[in-house]
Amino acid sequence: MRLGRHAFGDDDPLMMGIVNRTPDSFFDKGATWAEDAAFARVAEVVAQGAEIVDIGGIKAAPGVEISAAEEKARVVDFVAQVRATYPDLVISVDTWRAEVGAAVCAAGADVLNDAWGGADPELVDVAAEHDAAIICTHTGGVTPRTRPYRIEYDDVVAAAIADTTAYAQRALDAGVARESIVIDPAHDFGKNTFHSLEVTRRLGEMVATGWPVLVSLSNKDFVGETLGLDVGERLVGTLAATSVCALAGARIYRVHQVVETRQTVDMVWSIAGRRPPLRAIRGLQ
Amino acid sequence: MRARALVPGVPALLPSYASLDDPVAPLRAACLSAVGELGPRVRVVASGPSGRRVGAALAEAVGAVVVDADETGTLVVGNGSATRTEKAPGHLDERAAGFDAALRASFDHIDLALADELWADVTCLVGLPPLADGDVRYDDAPYGVQYWVAVWG
Repeated sequence: MRLGRHAFGDDDPLMMGIVNRTPDSFFDKGATWAEDAAFARVAEVVAQGAEIVDIGGIKAAPGVEISAAEEKARVVDFVAQVRATYPDLVISVDTWRAEVGAAVCAAGADVLNDAWGGADPELVDVAAEHDAAIICTHTGGVTPRTRPYRIEYDDVVAAAIADTTAYAQRALDAGVARESIVIDPAHDFGKNTFHSLEVTRRLGEMVATGWPVLVSLSNKDFVGETLGLDVGERLVGTLAATSVCALAGARIYRVHQVVETRQTVDMVWSIAGRRPPLRAIRGLQ
Repeated sequence: MRARALVPGVPALLPSYASLDDPVAPLRAACLSAVGELGPRVRVVASGPSGRRVGAALAEAVGAVVVDADETGTLVVGNGSATRTEKAPGHLDERAAGFDAALRASFDHIDLALADELWADVTCLVGLPPLADGDVRYDDAPYGVQYWVAVWG
């Protein structure tokens, strides 16, 4: 797998730390809205071992309309600053807009994380032009920044596989490198809690497509609704879902809590026989 | 006299029990250097399957083949007590240090009953020359088990 300038082994799970340049995202509620706070957040997740940062200028939920110009003002210079400070860090930008994608790639971004499943058809061309990676998500065709409402699928996993692999093929046809295409079932996007639970349970079917799979589970509503917990109380449930996805072989984990997720994924990776223990001597002296 | 080497039968040396951070790195380096001096055909002398596996793995790691006859060198697998500390596999036995000190001086006249109590793997050490007559590459008990690595030319 190659994410822009950065290549990774076929069996390395990667942590993608979430950095919101927004005043209103659900988890941090604007804690990293100011540029210096956002930069401190980048430093934090880097220190915690995240290979990737995912910088977003617009919260996923409905809210005030943010123009492309405003989105660019929030992320482009910031990406350039992060690029200059952390040359070895993979920079992903969470955007669905080609115009924004082009600007952040020019500023040093490596990955375009299209959380809205190809809403802007030209985003793949931007990724190809800049040799950037692209995350192909499944949203069930909903409009960006809308909540799912009475969406039904004959088979949500089959739909997620069909849509994300079609998107991946579209990216490939546009000239994006095969090793730079990742698919994401997009928990909670165009999905109710039952859908997200089923996607988690059957994640192995997505892995079996051969495309590397990203999961974005962190503190989401499907965890909250399943356990009856508010946003600040969902870490344990998030990690349980993370374990299931890790056992199935998900490669990239988009997270708020890097350290806890890394421990969880490392443990599951070792259980799965894909990673040796760090240091095992008990009974082997 | 063909070359002989002594290594401990430590399963952590096996590739199938490899960790990301090798917990026995200095021991492994010493073992490989010693086994590397036994030539291309190595006969492994061990008291059980675990020790035989370790010996064979070390031989393989240096590019030698394990044989039952016409060897170029002999690899003896064994070690001292496994009761040197409270965290040792067999817990602390106050007699262990003295027992190992006696082995360090000579492999003759080993108290096999005591060896059994101290979880020492000494069956194959009987008859080896004293460590003082060989080139000792390792002499330590990092996990409560006494290890020696030595080569006799």
